Amino acid sequence: MAHPVIMPRQGQSVETCILTRWYKQKGEKVAEGDFLFAFETDKAAFDEEAQVSGILLDIFYEEGDEVPVLANVAVIGEQGEPVDEFRPAERGKESPEEVESASGEKPEELMIKEEPAVSTVAYRATSGEIPISPRAKKLAEQKSIGYTNLAGTGPGGRIIERDILQAIRQSPVVTPLAREKLKSGKLGMPQQKAHPGIRITSGDLIEKPEEGTVYTDRPLSRMRKLIAAGMQRSLSESAQLTHHISAGAGRILALRQKVKTLETGGRLPDITLNDMVCYAVIRTLEKHPEMNGHFLGETIRVFRSVHLGFAVDTERGLMVPVVKDASRLTLPELSMTMKELAQACQSGSINPDLLAAGEASFTVTNLGSFGIEYFTPVLNLPQIGILGVNTIRYQPKPLENGGMGFFPHIGYSLTYDHRAIDGAPASRFLKDLCAETENIHPGIPELE
Amino acid sequence: MPKQLFIDPQKVRKPGKITFGEIPVNQYNKALKEEKENYSAGDLVRIYRDMLVIREFETMLNLIKTTNEYQGITYNHPGPAHLSIGQEAAAVGMAFLLGPEDFIFGSHRSHGEILAKGLSAIHRLKEQELTEIMESYFDGRTLKVVEREEHKDVYDLALDFLLYGTLAEIFARETGFNKGLGGSMHAFFPPFGIYPNNAIVGGSGDIAVGAALYKKVNREKGIVVANIGDASMGCGPVWEGISFATMDQFKTLWDEPYRGGLPLIFNFMNNQYGMGGQTAGETMGYGILARIGAGVNPEMMHAERVDGYNPLAVIDAFRRKMEVIRQKKGPVLLDTLTYRYSGHSPSDASSYRTRKEVEAWMQQDSLRFYANELVENKLLVKEKTDEMHTETVQRIMKILTWAVDDQVSPRMDLVKHPDEIGELMFSNGSAERMKEREPEVLMPLEENSRVQQLKKKERFGLDPQGSPYSKVKTFQLRDGIFEAIIDRFYKDPTLVAYGEENRDWGGAFAVYRGLTEALPYHRLFNATISEGAIAGTAIGYAMCGGRVIPEIMYCDFLGRAGDEVFNQMPKWQAMSGQVLKMPVVLRVSVGSKYGAQHSQDWTSLVAHIPGLKVVFPATPYDAKGLMNAALQGTDPVVFFESQRIYDVGEYFHEGGVPEGYYEIPIGQPDVKIRGTDITLITVGATLYRAVVAAEILKKEYNVSAEIIDVRSLVPLDYSLILESVRKTGKVLISGDATERGSFLKEMAQTIADLAFDDLDAPPVVVGSRNWITPAYELEDYFFPQPEWMVDAIHERIMPLEGHKVKNNFTNDKLLKLKRKGM
Repeated sequence: MAHPVIMPRQGQSVETCILTRWYKQKGEKVAEGDFLFAFETDKAAFDEEAQVSGILLDIFYEEGDEVPVLANVAVIGEQGEPVDEFRPAERGKESPEEVESASGEKPEELMIKEEPAVSTVAYRATSGEIPISPRAKKLAEQKSIGYTNLAGTGPGGRIIERDILQAIRQSPVVTPLAREKLKSGKLGMPQQKAHPGIRITSGDLIEKPEEGTVYTDRPLSRMRKLIAAGMQRSLSESAQLTHHISAGAGRILALRQKVKTLETGGRLPDITLNDMVCYAVIRTLEKHPEMNGHFLGETIRVFRSVHLGFAVDTERGLMVPVVKDASRLTLPELSMTMKELAQACQSGSINPDLLAAGEASFTVTNLGSFGIEYFTPVLNLPQIGILGVNTIRYQPKPLENGGMGFFPHIGYSLTYDHRAIDGAPASRFLKDLCAETENIHPGIPELE
Repeated sequence: MPKQLFIDPQKVRKPGKITFGEIPVNQYNKALKEEKENYSAGDLVRIYRDMLVIREFETMLNLIKTTNEYQGITYNHPGPAHLSIGQEAAAVGMAFLLGPEDFIFGSHRSHGEILAKGLSAIHRLKEQELTEIMESYFDGRTLKVVEREEHKDVYDLALDFLLYGTLAEIFARETGFNKGLGGSMHAFFPPFGIYPNNAIVGGSGDIAVGAALYKKVNREKGIVVANIGDASMGCGPVWEGISFATMDQFKTLWDEPYRGGLPLIFNFMNNQYGMGGQTAGETMGYGILARIGAGVNPEMMHAERVDGYNPLAVIDAFRRKMEVIRQKKGPVLLDTLTYRYSGHSPSDASSYRTRKEVEAWMQQDSLRFYANELVENKLLVKEKTDEMHTETVQRIMKILTWAVDDQVSPRMDLVKHPDEIGELMFSNGSAERMKEREPEVLMPLEENSRVQQLKKKERFGLDPQGSPYSKVKTFQLRDGIFEAIIDRFYKDPTLVAYGEENRDWGGAFAVYRGLTEALPYHRLFNATISEGAIAGTAIGYAMCGGRVIPEIMYCDFLGRAGDEVFNQMPKWQAMSGQVLKMPVVLRVSVGSKYGAQHSQDWTSLVAHIPGLKVVFPATPYDAKGLMNAALQGTDPVVFFESQRIYDVGEYFHEGGVPEGYYEIPIGQPDVKIRGTDITLITVGATLYRAVVAAEILKKEYNVSAEIIDVRSLVPLDYSLILESVRKTGKVLISGDATERGSFLKEMAQTIADLAFDDLDAPPVVVGSRNWITPAYELEDYFFPQPEWMVDAIHERIMPLEGHKVKNNFTNDKLLKLKRKGM
């Protein structure tokens, strides 16, 4: 099979290279590792080796041509194989002058032209190898830091000590036991994005895939097991269904904008849209105590105050901490409390008592930031309701002057246990929630 | 430029002419019977015996080299053997009057001279003295071999000792006179007054002058004979040695009892060939070698050609010339005419001469001629000469049997002791003085004007606010060197210093200012402009047991002393099995501002040669401490000083430069500034540019640099450097040497070797460009600058955020420069 030869990319900022010299001519035999052609960027000159052996079937650029990086410059293959599929689209259209100037230039002169004293740093790294200094490599191994995906800041993109130090600052804390197990080589780091403050324990490690296998069996973490069991039980033991609605989001967006621009000198927390929605949910639940409770089979437990659970996505999985007595809190206090709890979940320092499903009287889960428009949240038993918060979308709405306008709306998806409550009261709850959202009173003079 | 010598224009501009006296040529014409009253019968026979021993010894070597066999004893000797068969009368005649206190120096063709001098010394030593010498030499190791057999007396034993020690040395046996490390061309035995032969033609031409200087300055008995070949008359060191040896000042300026000529005979063993080149008629123009003396000084060096085929003629000449020396009218030039039948070496096919010529000389063979004289004068019967020959052959067979036996005469075991030769390169001694006697000085130290001045100087260069004191108030680097040197002059009576402009001028860079008033001429003087002889005489002075500070005014002039600094000074401690010490501190001043031939840092050249200690201090504290250590030691130290920084104060060492004595061990680098992010290693004056670079790094890029001044190049303890590199992972090495092949590269390679896993980038070298040093105004484009260091760090070690480079340190640039030899 014929193989295209591309103009390699030498650094992120390089868009084109000058092909300065062909070491092989069209029709000539080449062996893997032979120098094929020389090229240069504005800062450095390189030689490109053949990656495969065969006949140099065709050449798409001449010496002196400016070639876009990653463009096919030639094809290597067996005698007689077609090459047209590899021919760059633009070739053949160039003007005769360009060809003239390209072949008329002396490439040697370009090569030896005195370079100004500018910092270049392009090394000819062998393909597939990651340039890394011995010191950086040693440090990475000591600290069990993977470096294959790091961007080196040393000369020529070499990964140097400071790059590993930076990665360490950004990477999760690995427990000593986990580090030992990592060194054995059989286990690897869980695939997740680096995030500060997360502790990787030995249980979180995953088995490294063995060469040649198509899958790996990863044992469930303790947390995953708990989540799995809880979800399964919820769906098998309750009668849940979901209603969707959307509320005008103009006011909360305006408030959010005000929060962002208002300089309060730190007196106010960074109140988010979710904070405001939760505040509206609390106000609505106060009017709908039937939704603020637990279905216990023989009884329904209605709570006097709202204990609001809210879903937090962490590296270890979904967590639902609870804001106790949320009814008592002002919007800033609510915002602050939720931030603290979310932080505690992320860092793993959350009080486990605040995670028990029985502690919350109602739960809010927000996937709006992911652009989710509708979903069916799963009940956190024995709670009767859970509100899913969706993304903000623009919806048409009649204007007072008779025309139509587009207005921002936030979507709500309420899952409730039909064993405890019927469709009409659930719908009324949603309707009131929309009203609370649209007319929210944050109780903060600066925002009024 | 002494003021007491008035150059009177009236006198020197007067017309006139130079007239020469006569130079005797082969004037000796006595028959043996006329000499009978001057010699005992025993002496006259002994002369024959000595010639016979030498002839048979060399014949044996010739057969071993050409046929691998002598009298049924087989052996292969792959090493050199430059024989002098035919020259025996010249050797024995030369040595006959010399005692152990008289020193001979030789050439590559000196087996005969060694044996002749040894035989003469043995004859003159008392039994007790001989026994002591043989028993103490290498703890009797050589003696033990010859003691395998009963001897009729100590003299008989000593004869075997001499022959065996020489032959074992030629065969590279550890039982040889120099542990087998000298070999054929360097065999010698100082207790018999046999000083090094020299494989470099004319090598002894200046070293022997230093030995004569030693004898004069230290008022030791004996004379010095430089046995060098006729062809060496074409060598620079020989001419330089002659120039140095005939300086007028010995007779005009030196004080009694030192006044007068050197006790030295340049004895040209004139066998009329330099390898295959015929000196008279082909390669030289003197016609008769002795003519040279006429051009050297008014005494015409008491030059004379003497017939070296007649031992009595040579003895006669030496007797007369030794009287000249006794009258302090030396040095003397002797042209001792002789001829070798053997080739230059056994591989010599004698294609440059005819069989007829060789045979004509053989017809006049000195052994046959002299034996006939003895027989004719009834001093010996014919049968006795045959008996003596047989006896000699048997003796040589016995010696050879021992010398080729690996059990009896083992070689150095470098499997068991891989570093044994290495350990001999330096003696690492510590000696306050080389001789016990009162040093001669002209005033108490504290009365010296410079010593008094220095008392008022600021010994730390910065005031309490951190600003430098003015130059005149500051105790400078040159003062540090001065303090160490004057201190040693008052401790070591053997210490002498000389070079160009060392005395009245105070040294070209004012290091010696104040020394002239403190020291008599014979301890501090101006030398001829002869860098070869300045270094070479120091070598001779030191190997005789004195301490000496020769000075090379500009590093660039080191080339003029190439053989002395590269071949002689570093080698003799090891080549002698450390019988000799080499307490020479060669001061070398590295210039700047004066262009291509006055501004080079050649530290790397010297560091490349095994056997030299090399230091390059950059602060007054280090300069004084290292000079003290160099002067306390017994090894050759090349002491580099930079003209850029003679006037710097001490800015690093807390408390400044101590007034008292202290040493900084040679080989210990020093952290000048502590840092955490990158290590900057400097050699010499680049220290101060690295300090500026460190300031830029700190200020502009928040990079903390640690600066290490190596201070010494050889030896060098890397532990401090490695400790720093392990901390920082990054290292830049800078010095003023041109970058290619420099010691900077040596350090980079060693660091990469020893700390590879700790390195965050390859060690980077910033040296001078591989060009000529341009004019002062362009020097900043040639010598490493602080900006270069920062640029190199940015380009090759750790890109610095926002840094804009001015100099190209890219791979491409580097490759291109290498490709072009730039």
